[in-house]
Amino acid sequence: MLRFVLRRVLYAVPSLFGLMIFTFLLIRIVPADPAAALAGDNATPQQIADIRHQYGFDRPVAEQLVLYIGQVLRLDFGESQYSHRPVGLDIRQRLPATLELTFAALLLAIVVGIPLGVVAGVNHNRWPDFVLRLFSITGVAVAAFWFAIMLQLLFSMQLDWLPLRGRTSAGAVLPPELTGSLLIDSLIAGRLGVFWDALLHLIMPAVTLSLGALATIARFTRAGVLDTMQKDFVLYERAVGYPRRRLIWIYVLRNSVIAAVTQVGLLFGALIAGAVVVESIFDWPGIGNYAVQAILTADYKVMLAVTLLVGVVYTIVNILTDLVHGLLDPRLWEQL
Amino acid sequence: MNISRREFGALAATALAFRATCAAASDPSVFVTGMDLPANLDPAQILDVQSTQWGLNAYDNLYRYEGNPAEMRPWLATEHTVSADGLVWNFKLRQGVKFHDGSELTADDVVYTVQRLLAIGRAPAAPFLPILKAESITAPDRYTVRFTLAQTYGPFFGMIPMIAVVNPRVIKPHEDNGDWGAKWMASNEAGSGAYKLLPESYVPLEKADLEKYDDHFVGWSDNAQAIKKIEWRPAKVTSTRVLALLNGSLDMTDSFLPVDQVERIDKSTNAHVAKNVTMRLLVIRMNNTKPPFDNINARKAFAHAFNYGGFIDEIVKGNAVRDPVPIPNNMWGFPKDVTGYDYDLAKAKEYLAKAAADGAPVKRPIEMHVQQPLEQTVQASQLFQSDLASIGVDLKLVNDTFANLVSISSKAETTPDMWIHWVSAYYLDPDNWIGQMYDSRYHGTWKASCWYTNPQVDALLSKARFTIDQEGRAPMYEQAAKIIVADSPDIWIYNMIEVCGISNRVQGFKHCPVGSGGEVRWMHLSA
Repeated sequence: MLRFVLRRVLYAVPSLFGLMIFTFLLIRIVPADPAAALAGDNATPQQIADIRHQYGFDRPVAEQLVLYIGQVLRLDFGESQYSHRPVGLDIRQRLPATLELTFAALLLAIVVGIPLGVVAGVNHNRWPDFVLRLFSITGVAVAAFWFAIMLQLLFSMQLDWLPLRGRTSAGAVLPPELTGSLLIDSLIAGRLGVFWDALLHLIMPAVTLSLGALATIARFTRAGVLDTMQKDFVLYERAVGYPRRRLIWIYVLRNSVIAAVTQVGLLFGALIAGAVVVESIFDWPGIGNYAVQAILTADYKVMLAVTLLVGVVYTIVNILTDLVHGLLDPRLWEQL
Repeated sequence: MNISRREFGALAATALAFRATCAAASDPSVFVTGMDLPANLDPAQILDVQSTQWGLNAYDNLYRYEGNPAEMRPWLATEHTVSADGLVWNFKLRQGVKFHDGSELTADDVVYTVQRLLAIGRAPAAPFLPILKAESITAPDRYTVRFTLAQTYGPFFGMIPMIAVVNPRVIKPHEDNGDWGAKWMASNEAGSGAYKLLPESYVPLEKADLEKYDDHFVGWSDNAQAIKKIEWRPAKVTSTRVLALLNGSLDMTDSFLPVDQVERIDKSTNAHVAKNVTMRLLVIRMNNTKPPFDNINARKAFAHAFNYGGFIDEIVKGNAVRDPVPIPNNMWGFPKDVTGYDYDLAKAKEYLAKAAADGAPVKRPIEMHVQQPLEQTVQASQLFQSDLASIGVDLKLVNDTFANLVSISSKAETTPDMWIHWVSAYYLDPDNWIGQMYDSRYHGTWKASCWYTNPQVDALLSKARFTIDQEGRAPMYEQAAKIIVADSPDIWIYNMIEVCGISNRVQGFKHCPVGSGGEVRWMHLSA
């Protein structure tokens, strides 16, 4: 197992290195001049030229790339061109909010998606199956921003049950930051009021973000269940009168979720990418929102750092997914 | 389905708990604004509508624009004098003005402010650079500031409100490698304005809290129920911003609302739309160096193909006034006898045929970059695309961001064929519009991104800039505008009527074209 982990980590290094170079070149290839954007309204050509020189934009691209790689290897992502704050600090402040949202969405997708898939699978071609199929197509097809606005209209505007935007209510006094998760930190601090407030703020963004993932997991679980139900051991267990509920929810499920677990790894990346839209709509203070601002203001150091970060998180989650695969089916250790 | 009384009670309690925690921003002393925050809090580093609004609340100026139509009002200065040759300007300061740290604001602080502005050399300094050097600003005594200009400069007095006075005693300890405290000031505040930043509340582009500065020099006797705290909470998406206004968790939106949202707010009972004529022009740029736009007939064809009336009446629903020249129609220097180009597809076809006969490649696909995420620019582009298609022009729309457009328009070869944007008011002088848009000395800046060159226009605009009296300057701008319109380098659509969603509990909102009414000190909240 240790050898497997080391091998996967080693494989990840060139991937991340490639991502770092590719994103850097991609941003530099665009025929844009960040100095002009930075100079702002009314700036003169001389001012723009001065800024270009000050930030080193007038140096050869290869030289800029070497400098950039050196910085990243020292975990120095530079500073935002606008706020002049270290990008690393800004990301550290915002990442917990994104991770909380993403994990909440993933948890929701798994907790709801897997049972839905099982129910649909064991009721093949009956109404629960038809409903799930309709739901999974809708879940994947529906646009997140549309769904988010519908939720806002219903639960914030009509029913007044859930807050419209943000991570906490105005004036909320936050607990000391230990894990970065507001839910966990408020529980540790025994601040149930903050926990409840944070939970209410989390519901709509998490539901919106989870929709596509939930539908995908349900669909893959359903397919897995249908396949497993045809296996000899299931026929045997049924023949000897093994309790149906136990058979399905333990043995069939365990053999059916491998494909869904693979999807969890892939979906995590999609969820982080999807957080860009969801965070913007709900004004969720995470890195998705940060990335959107960086794009709108052409703050390229932030764009590079966020892209690389998403790549690192995605890689880690994929390694973890492979580990879970191995735990579910130890034969896979040798193949992976 | 049967629900027991106990279950019903639990559900009802849950619902009530939900409602209780979703309380709106109804604190009568806290104003929650959805205006965007500037990307940087230093008034010497950023110049845009957001930074102007920020500056109006956190900082003070020698003179300030107030009201609509805007008038220059003495602010930190009580008066000013100017020498007969227009080169030496003396501003007499009010005594006893205090910065947020309690120290007195004196002439030395104004000198430091302007020297810092010039040394940092970003956009807010641009209009001053041709006429001021660090040694041109002096303090003959504790309460007099003297500007000695390198040459007479017509827009100078109008530019004075762009200077937000900063406190050197707060900044200097944070200076790093001779950066004039630029790094620190990007996330902090060192002013004397009506509201002061609570530094721990600030998260760049996300939130900032400001509290009322009780010792502000203007005093608060004119507004006994003044707002005690401003919570700056920008909403990234228009629909969320408007919903927040309607459910009472936000008191004010931005002033770029699309028409459907305006109608929605108009129908609500707890908010309204403030409509104010302003000085913000919507312009479609044509890159005059790229074929077919290097051909005047092609440019005129495009100018005749935009449905000005349809766009203003049907899409913007009358929240704009047709403005056929690159000067706001409520600004002096506006040539009243210029009608500009009308929407006439037959004429557009004629000019297109002439351009084709001249050898201009009018059949090639034309790219128009459209600013995201502003809905009006998208709507205008789609309308234009449809009309151009009917005369055989293939217009392709490319989504883009303002930052990138500013960036790529720094060179003629990377400037798009066409793009669309607004030009807002930063100082109320024709130079802010026509001067910086069509004088070739500004090539390389986004405002001059049509790359128009006409030596006669350059000479006129330069002469107007270096003339001091308004009566003498106005005819020069009028003449320059006529020549420019005849050359048709761009397509001028309208002067905007700003539409800002405001909660009904907000009283005392005062609009001004500079800052779009974002100055909170005049407002209070009804219970």
